[in-house]
Amino acid sequence: MIPVALGISIISFITMYAAGDPINIIKMARPTVDKTTLDAIRAYYGLDKPIPLQYLNWLSNLLQLNFGKSLYGGIPVNLLIGNWLWETAKLQLVSIILALAISIPIGINSARKQYSKQDIAVTSISLFGVSMPTFWLGVILIIIFSYTLGWLPSEGARGGTKIWWGNPFLDEIAHLIMPTAVLVYVTLAQNIRLIRANMLEVLRSDYILAARASGLKERTIIYKYALRNAISPVITYLGIAFGAIIAGAPMTEYVFNWPGLGRRFVDATLRLDFPIVMGITMIITVMTLIANLIVDIVYVYIDPRIRIR
Amino acid sequence: MSSNKKEKFERRSASQWAVAWRRFKRNKAGTVGLVIVITVFLVGIFGDFFAPYPGRPDPDALLPFYQGDVRKPPSWLENWPNQILNWKYPFGTSAIGTDVYSDMIHGTKYTLYVGVVVTLITMALAIVVGSTAGFYGGWVDNLLMRLTEVFLVFPSLLFILVFVRIFTLTVGDPFWTIPIINLKIPTGLTIVTVVLAIFNWASNARMVRGEFLRVRELEFIEAEKALGASNTRIIFRHVLPNILSSIIVVSSLTIAYAVLIEAAVSFLGFGDLNTTTWGQILQENFADMRTVWWAEIFPGLAILLTVFGFNLLGDGLSDAFNPRLRD
Repeated sequence: MIPVALGISIISFITMYAAGDPINIIKMARPTVDKTTLDAIRAYYGLDKPIPLQYLNWLSNLLQLNFGKSLYGGIPVNLLIGNWLWETAKLQLVSIILALAISIPIGINSARKQYSKQDIAVTSISLFGVSMPTFWLGVILIIIFSYTLGWLPSEGARGGTKIWWGNPFLDEIAHLIMPTAVLVYVTLAQNIRLIRANMLEVLRSDYILAARASGLKERTIIYKYALRNAISPVITYLGIAFGAIIAGAPMTEYVFNWPGLGRRFVDATLRLDFPIVMGITMIITVMTLIANLIVDIVYVYIDPRIRIR
Repeated sequence: MSSNKKEKFERRSASQWAVAWRRFKRNKAGTVGLVIVITVFLVGIFGDFFAPYPGRPDPDALLPFYQGDVRKPPSWLENWPNQILNWKYPFGTSAIGTDVYSDMIHGTKYTLYVGVVVTLITMALAIVVGSTAGFYGGWVDNLLMRLTEVFLVFPSLLFILVFVRIFTLTVGDPFWTIPIINLKIPTGLTIVTVVLAIFNWASNARMVRGEFLRVRELEFIEAEKALGASNTRIIFRHVLPNILSSIIVVSSLTIAYAVLIEAAVSFLGFGDLNTTTWGQILQENFADMRTVWWAEIFPGLAILLTVFGFNLLGDGLSDAFNPRLRD
């Protein structure tokens, strides 16, 4: 876990340096700035020190949750990020929980009745979900539900041109519906495919046959015996995919103009505002690592064989 | 009787590939995927000959704009459904006054270029890393797998965006021309391609390693070792051919993924402005999507269909090569 985190931090830092000197970028935008001012800026941001020292400096600041100041406006990044993080977390947590809650029963049912009409419908819909560009689904939803029908707000997390459904709380929910729907559908599709595939394999194994032969109830067989084995690859996948899901936030947030980490990340990267870019990257990486840790712990409960090892 | 015998003999001698092909043909979904993929490739290769308007760097691409046809809805919608349908702009014209249908045809080759080259680089990296780790084991395996883990846990889209943004700053000429065949390769798009590949090999390397671990323990490898074959010979002549089917399946799925993620990168505004990939068309018309919805819907459908095709093909191939997974 820790080597992985360190590796990622080094790669992040190198990324920042691959960009070249941020001072040059300032110079590109404002050619009239003179050299003494540039040197002063360089010293102010600590860019005149040797690179390994800058890395250690940056890392120690990072551990104190100090991401530096935005190159545009000079506001400390950690003051900015807190709010964005909350907006993203709200969106992502709701979607992941909903997706899990829906996908497990559907995946199981689909595997139990393999090649039935229901199964074929579910597999093709989920294959569509895997093939669909996330942002495009968002665009289609906006065109249909905001522009054509006028039922839901097309952008932002709250407010906008009017308060939807007459109440600030309901207004936030109205704004949440479409981004959540997009995220749930995409995550759901992937989950259903995994659960179905694993369940199919488990249901064919000998111990399930033995359980059937001993006359246990179908419910007990599925939920008590089969599910435990079928779900562990899904949980591993979720741990790995968590990074991808969170990092996929830019797409959904860009389409819906959601004021979260992803949207701000796109803006900051286009402006080459590196303290913000690095701050967001590290926060998302740490969240991913924590998710992996949680997965490892949950794993022990689901699969007791790991504890013995 | 004799003919029957002959048939039996032929069937027994059919190679693994012929058997897989016969199984694949029976799979409807896989065949649909193959047809979609072949169609997309044909459009990508021969699209320049039948597109109504030329590709983007050519000023004639903006001909609809000069004729005053900016933001025209798909022309068949005008007198739908009573009169003769008008196919002048099948998918309408974009916010900047190009024919969306032509743009999409020209975008096909770029999309395929990204998909195929990303997959080639990804698979090369994955095979090198995966086979080294899987074959040698021990500390080499440990080290390489930690590295793979770093790349797996990575929130890769974020890094892709940062790298693409940084490197596209350095682009000079928008196109490289390969001298003799006069093929133009877009520079910016190539950068996107390489970056995508660098952040995409990890899961495939894991797969290759797993397959290597499985095949390595088989008896014929032991026999080969006893005969004194070198490691290179075992890897290239014996193990790799045995995992080729898995590599082909994963390649198809990787193309699908690459097409999807390139579209995302372009859509977010990080793409190569000199190439009209499908994601680029979506990006150009995104701000005006309230009026030019057709320029958002049709390129998106093209992406969806292409990715769907490659996914179907991959699933179909997987079933054809490993029938026991499917009953």
